[in-house]
Amino acid sequence: MSPSNTDAPRNLFRAIATDLHFWIPLCVLLGGLFLLDKLR
Amino acid sequence: MHATRLRSLQALGIFCGFAAGAWLGGAETPIKIVNPDISPITVSLIMVCGVFLARWSLPAFIRGTSHVRSDVRQAPHLVVWAVLAGCMWAVANTLTIYAIRNVGLSIAFPLWNTNSLLGIFWGFLLFNELRLAGWKRWLGVLGGAVAMFAGATLLAMASSHQAAPGKATLGIAAALGAGLLWGTMYIPYRKAYLTGMNPLSFITFFTVGELATMVALAVGYRGASPLWKELVSARPVLFWLMLGGFVWVIGDLFQQYATKYVGISRGIPLSNTNQLWGLLWGVLVFHELQGGSRTVYTQVAGGSLLMACGAVAIALSSATEREHSSWRNAAEREGNRYGVEAEYVRAGMQGESFGNASSARSLLDRLLILGTTALFLALATMARLPRMEISLGWAVVLAAAMLALLSTCAIALWRTTRFR
Repeated sequence: MSPSNTDAPRNLFRAIATDLHFWIPLCVLLGGLFLLDKLR
Repeated sequence: MHATRLRSLQALGIFCGFAAGAWLGGAETPIKIVNPDISPITVSLIMVCGVFLARWSLPAFIRGTSHVRSDVRQAPHLVVWAVLAGCMWAVANTLTIYAIRNVGLSIAFPLWNTNSLLGIFWGFLLFNELRLAGWKRWLGVLGGAVAMFAGATLLAMASSHQAAPGKATLGIAAALGAGLLWGTMYIPYRKAYLTGMNPLSFITFFTVGELATMVALAVGYRGASPLWKELVSARPVLFWLMLGGFVWVIGDLFQQYATKYVGISRGIPLSNTNQLWGLLWGVLVFHELQGGSRTVYTQVAGGSLLMACGAVAIALSSATEREHSSWRNAAEREGNRYGVEAEYVRAGMQGESFGNASSARSLLDRLLILGTTALFLALATMARLPRMEISLGWAVVLAAAMLALLSTCAIALWRTTRFR
């Protein structure tokens, strides 16, 4: 059975949250913000 | 994909990489003419405002925003990736301003350009780039990137006497941090283009992330009232900084097309030829390295030659049909994970059109183009030329070379892919 349309945002969120490719840039971004805070 | 089509797309991507180098290198120069009393955060915010305007008006001008809506309907998840990449760009750009202030453009450039080595790593690890490529291609790409890095280091050594004492560590940390952020930012780029998204659509959401991050950083670090006062006092340089942002977007757009058609492992090192352009602007227009010793000039010549050789080695190592089949596997994986239509992914990879989005300019498109033009004209009337020794003749020559690259590359993109 195909998922209903109302599940689409939840499925999209799950696909992104379980994608390692998402977490690598996010961690680097947080590191960059930390460095910027130290530099200012 | 037909072998002839693959070859023409690879050649196009490599050409875009070189054009990106010219425009990204030229975009750093406005920072040099800005009063050092203005905070780096404010400088970055003003540049990002120019970037934001360019990232909406250029797609409206080239293809119309109806194509953006069509792309988002096909791959809505890429909006998240684009915003994330935009946040990274904004933080990296702010770090580069600290780097330039503390160690100078000539040292900062090679350090943040280590992003190309990181790009090769991510491209191989996550997106099957250079898989089944054969040792000659590996040697060309990796050897070329290492040669470019060595050349960049030589150029840094040549101008190291310009670094302000005591501030070098901060500047180096800022430049390396920017390199790490930019090198990793190519993950969202590659993800978008493997899935078939058009670079012109990607950048419109990308810029939402960069503007939101920059505004948050500027207000958080400076405070709303002092920030506003600084923006008002910066009126004479608003035009130059926003123009720098606009020029950057043109370079970045070429970089995005290079990433799309030759991947991050080749596209990023090629666009890092921006260091050579930055050096040309610095030496010819701003009289950097004047009165340097013979050793300095030897290092500059050697470093530039190494960088040029590295870029040529990469340009001659385009992807074979076997390697391209590995890219298609990665694209299929992305399509399956996010439920993107296979035909959309295929058309995107081949630079072909998909669907029937209208190419006619809407009222929104016209408003974006006219509004941006009017704002830049208004800022130009307030702009003042800085009181510093600049060689205008060389500035005209370099600007003409950039425009020549822009027009030929844009024509090639139009003829081959209709800006797909």
